[in-house]
Amino acid sequence: MVSKAIYAAWFGIHFFLLTAVCLVGIFSLIAEGSTILPSACEKSAREAELVASWPLAKEAEASNPIRQGVSTYLHAAGIQAGYSFFAPNVPSQHRLTFELFYDDGRVEYESAHVRSGAAALRVSSLLDRLAEQRYEPIREVVVKMLALSVWREHPDVKKIHATFGSVNPPEMSEFENGKAETFQPMFSFDFSLRDEEKQ
Amino acid sequence: MTPLRSWWTRALKFLFPPETETWLAVLRVGLGLQVAAYALFLRSDWYYLFASSGKGLVGREIGDAITSFESPLIPTLSWLVALGRSVNMSEETVLSISWACLLSAGCFLLLGLFCRPAAIIAWFLHLCVAESGGLLAYGADNFMTTALFYLMLSPLPDRYSFDRWVVQSKPKNPQLLGFWRRVLQVHLCFVYFIGGLAKCLGSGWWNGSNLWHSLTRPPFNLVSPDILVRFHYALPVLGITICLLEVSYPIFIWMKKTRLVWLICILAMHAAIGLMMGLYLFALVMIVMNLAAFGIPYTNGCADGFKE
Repeated sequence: MVSKAIYAAWFGIHFFLLTAVCLVGIFSLIAEGSTILPSACEKSAREAELVASWPLAKEAEASNPIRQGVSTYLHAAGIQAGYSFFAPNVPSQHRLTFELFYDDGRVEYESAHVRSGAAALRVSSLLDRLAEQRYEPIREVVVKMLALSVWREHPDVKKIHATFGSVNPPEMSEFENGKAETFQPMFSFDFSLRDEEKQ
Repeated sequence: MTPLRSWWTRALKFLFPPETETWLAVLRVGLGLQVAAYALFLRSDWYYLFASSGKGLVGREIGDAITSFESPLIPTLSWLVALGRSVNMSEETVLSISWACLLSAGCFLLLGLFCRPAAIIAWFLHLCVAESGGLLAYGADNFMTTALFYLMLSPLPDRYSFDRWVVQSKPKNPQLLGFWRRVLQVHLCFVYFIGGLAKCLGSGWWNGSNLWHSLTRPPFNLVSPDILVRFHYALPVLGITICLLEVSYPIFIWMKKTRLVWLICILAMHAAIGLMMGLYLFALVMIVMNLAAFGIPYTNGCADGFKE
């Protein structure tokens, strides 16, 4: 009976945390205004998101042991993120293109590439994350590392111009009328061997 | 009996239904296949994806730093690299050994050999890889971590494993087996309800445009858009069906009359995602979890303690 009570208690805590994570995800989508709900709901959703995130101790300091303990458990159980895949709508695809400038005036175009399809999926996931506001602080570093990976394959390149943007695919009716996808640049960086400069 | 005691008895009856070991065997074999496929799919890019800065694609340090900010207690590949360095092992060697161990753990799970250690090693190594490559991770990684976490805690080995054949240990407590199956079942209900609810909140799932965007969006665009255009009338119907199928999963998967239909529809949806979008690992882990949770018939009829 005691051991059953322990299992039942773990079950309650585990799914309580999962509920909090899922609710934070749903309220966050509503608060961002990306759902069909009226904009009047956004403020309430933001408040609800804060309430739902309280058990996760996200508002506590990074060194807080409760926050660290909860976070470690969530990651260990793989429940640190909600389950709103491709929802409420399918996110835009993002593309990172490198313009390689050589000493002799040649210009080539390249992108970060991997060998397998499974890894290509992960690179696509990485690029989609770079577009998110919360990854803004590490955006330049990640693009720089990706540029470096291209540079290693083209060591005689003088300068690299990286352009990141979203790819807007045509709707079905537009596709039927022959419209192709459009590219919307979001930011760009210039990298040279000795220094780099953000544009 | 007081209402509280009555509620507690009903809760325990729901949480601890007696079960056989068949569902656990399905989960073990399925996850063994999943872990082995995961390692093999990433074999050619393993070092490139998880090496440190200046050697790989992005550099493992970025993922490690993000994870460390969440909590320094979450294991990453850097733990293993640091451990290897203490015995004069290079980063490349440590990463190669990690890959080999992950593949071996998958094969061991598949065969049912050293089930518990294999499940723990598979969970730990996959967690390290998923956290170090956090920016490169996607949904399949979370589901793999969760499934391996439950497998590791479940009462292994099952009676179909090589372990049981070698060491004639006594059968596991049926109620404990039932408890871990319940955990998996309830977890899947959360997954589909939240996924379905989030989809219902998007306009594009009601008119089929999200399905069009999902299937034409690189790198998921395995099906030619010209073929999709031919079935344009079906897209809104399929979009709405997916929303309703997912959001109502926690109700209809428990009912004896509708369980098989819902399970087949969900399995078909994941098979289609795998084949039409190239999300093979995601599809496989979801199919394995669903089959283990609801695919094996209950030993004593429908879910105990749950009113139909």
